[in-house]
Amino acid sequence: MSSVQSTITLHRERSAENDAPRLGATDIVTEPSLQRNPVSNGNAAPWVQVLASLLWLPQAALLAKGAGALIAGSMADTKWIVAAVIAIGVLRALLDALGTRLAFRNAREILSTKRTQVILALSRRSPLDTEKPASGLAASVIAEQAEAILPYLARFKPARMKATIIPIGILVCVFPLSWVAGLVLMISAPLIPLFMALIGWRAKAASERHLAEMGDLNAFLLDRLRGLATIRSLGAVDFTARRLRANAEELRIRTMAVLRIAFLSSAVLELFAALGVAMVAVYIGFHLLGQLEFGAWGQRLSLLEGLFILLLAPAFFEPLRELSAVWHDRASGEAAIEALDRLSVPGVDMPGGLIGTHPGQCSAGTASVEIKELTFSHAGSERPLFGRFNLDVRMGEHIALLGTSGSGKSTLLSLIAGLAPCTAGTIRIGNTLLDGNSSETLRKRMAWIGQKPHIFAGTVSDNICLHRIDLDNGDIEAALRIASLQNVANAKRHNYLGEGGSGLSGGEIRRLALARAAINRDADIILADEPTAHLDRITAYDIVDRLQAMAAGKTLIVATHDPVLAQRMDRVVTIGDEFRLGEAL
Amino acid sequence: MRLWNVFRPIISLFLAERRATLLAGVLLAAVTVLAGIALLGVSGWFITATAIAGASTATALVFDVFAPSAAIRFLSLARTATRYGERLTTHEATLSMLAGLRERIFRSAVQPGTANRLSFQPSRTLFRLTADIDALDSLYLRILVPAAVALCTTLAVAAVFGAMHPLFGLAATAWLLVPGFGIPLLAARWSAQPARRRAHSLEALRSRTIDVVAGQTELAMAGQLQTYRQSALAADARLATSDDALNLIETKVVAGFGIASAILLGGVLYGVAHLVSMGVINGPVAVLGILIALAALESFAGLRRGSIELGRTILAARRLGPDLQASSPPLPSRTPAENHAVELQDASVIYDAFPLPSLQNVSITVQCGERVALIGASGSGKTTLLALLAGEIKAARGLVKCLPNALLTQRTELFQDSLRDNLLLAAPGATDRRLLEVLTIAGLSEFVDTLPKGLDTPLGEGGTGLSGGQARRFALARLLLRDMPLWLLDEPSEGVDGATARDVLDRLASQMTQRTVIIATHIRREAMLVDRLLVLEHGRIKSTFSKGQPEYQRVLDGLRPD
Repeated sequence: MSSVQSTITLHRERSAENDAPRLGATDIVTEPSLQRNPVSNGNAAPWVQVLASLLWLPQAALLAKGAGALIAGSMADTKWIVAAVIAIGVLRALLDALGTRLAFRNAREILSTKRTQVILALSRRSPLDTEKPASGLAASVIAEQAEAILPYLARFKPARMKATIIPIGILVCVFPLSWVAGLVLMISAPLIPLFMALIGWRAKAASERHLAEMGDLNAFLLDRLRGLATIRSLGAVDFTARRLRANAEELRIRTMAVLRIAFLSSAVLELFAALGVAMVAVYIGFHLLGQLEFGAWGQRLSLLEGLFILLLAPAFFEPLRELSAVWHDRASGEAAIEALDRLSVPGVDMPGGLIGTHPGQCSAGTASVEIKELTFSHAGSERPLFGRFNLDVRMGEHIALLGTSGSGKSTLLSLIAGLAPCTAGTIRIGNTLLDGNSSETLRKRMAWIGQKPHIFAGTVSDNICLHRIDLDNGDIEAALRIASLQNVANAKRHNYLGEGGSGLSGGEIRRLALARAAINRDADIILADEPTAHLDRITAYDIVDRLQAMAAGKTLIVATHDPVLAQRMDRVVTIGDEFRLGEAL
Repeated sequence: MRLWNVFRPIISLFLAERRATLLAGVLLAAVTVLAGIALLGVSGWFITATAIAGASTATALVFDVFAPSAAIRFLSLARTATRYGERLTTHEATLSMLAGLRERIFRSAVQPGTANRLSFQPSRTLFRLTADIDALDSLYLRILVPAAVALCTTLAVAAVFGAMHPLFGLAATAWLLVPGFGIPLLAARWSAQPARRRAHSLEALRSRTIDVVAGQTELAMAGQLQTYRQSALAADARLATSDDALNLIETKVVAGFGIASAILLGGVLYGVAHLVSMGVINGPVAVLGILIALAALESFAGLRRGSIELGRTILAARRLGPDLQASSPPLPSRTPAENHAVELQDASVIYDAFPLPSLQNVSITVQCGERVALIGASGSGKTTLLALLAGEIKAARGLVKCLPNALLTQRTELFQDSLRDNLLLAAPGATDRRLLEVLTIAGLSEFVDTLPKGLDTPLGEGGTGLSGGQARRFALARLLLRDMPLWLLDEPSEGVDGATARDVLDRLASQMTQRTVIIATHIRREAMLVDRLLVLEHGRIKSTFSKGQPEYQRVLDGLRPD
């Protein structure tokens, strides 16, 4: 009992700790679930459920009394006993329902809070943070694994409390009537955990292995489904299907071998519960016959008392059975909490990352970029990627950043966009210093064409306007025209795009990024990262044409290793290993 | 009845797998529950009888204690034994069905519809598929077995109460059946919509989380990070709403059972009291009745989880059931005329649901032994044309005749398995010598020699563990094992650096003799291997150039240099 409370208290402290800095950092994100403390009403839930279970005591007493009355032949007594049995039963069901609901709501709120924390933590981390978890991992932890928290908090914890209190409550009622019956129950109860623990250590390993192999089987199926075209092309459908079946059969045989032992654990529970009831019943029977006179503190039990004890015997074991049914919820629940907490560990912050919304107007000033003494190194890396790097881009200038892969062209673009904090030095956009406060406003005047544009779940239009409410269909049409993407958009108007852009060609994905940049008309600085990489010559040429048309009168900075593209810019800046600055044209 | 239609394909698959084990599991589960009920009932009877007999010394001495006390001990041991047997049998049955289900799902996924969905939205489809399989896995254990057990209990209770008094038996049975099955069915009905919403919200939460994390840069640049973050949180809020609805239903089920059980208990108490006062039954039998009533409704509690999951299970059965029934007829492949490897006449491919480029009235004839390159801007239909020839997709109109062929997909598809098993996919019976032979041709034998486990070296998910160049060579080795007269190569050296690419292409070229080859490409080094260039534009053949024509060289020069 005390352990239950201490876990809950601990939990509260931990979640409070996580909330505090986050809420202090910004008042823009106001999630209601973050402000309320969900644990406050959670303490009551298990107690309500315990109370509901304990109501069985008076109900059982009434039933025993009713049985006594009917044998005595008093029908009048029976009627009010029937009414009371029903009334208490209904009350018990309602109280239990109340407890379940309270426990569930509390658990669900904790789950939402955790999810919110993780999503906030991940989305504020800089894209250049090398330690940032991959999106696939984040999605599977947040969406699937996190679900395990619910049964752990809502079922396991109340079940553990019930298993601690109710047997004691029943013993308190049984002992004054008969110490033998009390002793029988008391001895069989601790034996259950003892034997279960003995068998359990194998059972636990067995069930974990079972789950892991079950996962393997699904992984095998998914892995083969991913390469279906190849399997079909190789004529290996039948072969693979038989292989899958053989694996599954093998899994069955191996799993059954361990389950034979694992299930002994539940058999022990069953055995002791059944034997406990049987021994109590047999003892009371012989006692009532007068063959076993001892055990009732020198008295003879009445039928009413005997029946009462018998009715309590199964209820004595019920909480234990309930607890064993939800036992495995604990491990997966704790693992899920741990995984979520690990994802919400802070890393390198993206300046202004928590705001994420352009507030107000564009910043004033010309579209110039002024980089002074810029130093940047990835977290944990010894060697800086740039050291004391200087660059001045005048308003309206089109420049190419040329360099080998790994020289830091893309990183430089990200730094100009304020996606990561500089280690030292300054970047000024139109005379405004780029920092955590200004980055969101400054980003409003920039348009971004990434090297690997992310394709969002949605249609082509969704992917271009990204749910900005200030854009209408006319804006989208214009952007599509600029990027020459109307045909694709028309063909796929209402269709969701495939994940990772499957179904779109490399050129079409690049055009999509172009349209995304074009729709931001306020932008007077365009940052483009390798816009022509991996494209055929004709498509590449067209993309550059459109990029230049779009950037007319605006500042354009292109990172590339395509010499043809570099030639078409006003100025070429070569980024080398020794941070040299070469200028051409 | 509709329910039955939904589940029929699944249940018939289950029955085909392990009929005897399935039924034995149900039987053992029923016996376990009945033994529990009998244990309590007999105990109550025993105590009451001994109390009455014990009232006077004379009756106490003649009372037969051994039969009932032996019965009590027997029932407690029998309950334990059957419980153990039941758990083993039901799990054995479940695991067998699981094996059968996965095999059938794989075979049904091979059909074009699923295959298209898979290639279009792999992780979403696979996520949904896993969830569906898991839902069906629990059909037997959570729904079928508890329902059968509840039915058996009702019959047993009906028999006992009916023996006391027919009317009493009838009333008790009705009271067991109506709430016992009525509550779970109602719950299943109520939970269908929230369960579906829950599944959708979970998918939405998943994909929006990916959007926020993977699309963070784009969102920050568009000032929409907060909007997308909110929409991910909104997905969780919707998930919470459906979770809450489901929990409310589940709580109602439990409370409903609790109330029904209280009324049953009170009703039986009243009934047996009445019967005793009429002299129809004696006191011990009356107590037996009360205790049986106490235990009877507990067997229905097993339906609780199942009834909540029924909605989800129905959804899964609806999605997967039709596929499981249909056997996939292989796409008919027609043989072209002699000396021809490929004949296409006015072939058109139309995708309505999938935004892939389509083909319009394409007519091509490829001679045996000829090498042809398909070129054109990305999105012009090169991959679609190869997929059509490989039989991956069907032509909406027109005639397709094609020799048996092997397709080298654009993305190298390797599997989580050993190197050997990855190769054996192409030729199940091949000896190790033959495998090493093709690995040598593909330029991989030295690499395999350096591996401590050799051919037994395991590859990770999707074939991780090989570099891009090695994976491509490996795919080439697999192609050689297949030994087909027609090769369809989709950008065979894409994603491989220059030197490696040339090596892979050289090795491919040396094996091309005696074969017809069609290459989809936009890289010059690949196009240089062929005799004829087909230029595709917007799903049509725009022009054809043969080696020797002046335009041939011009088109070649227009391709990407490396």
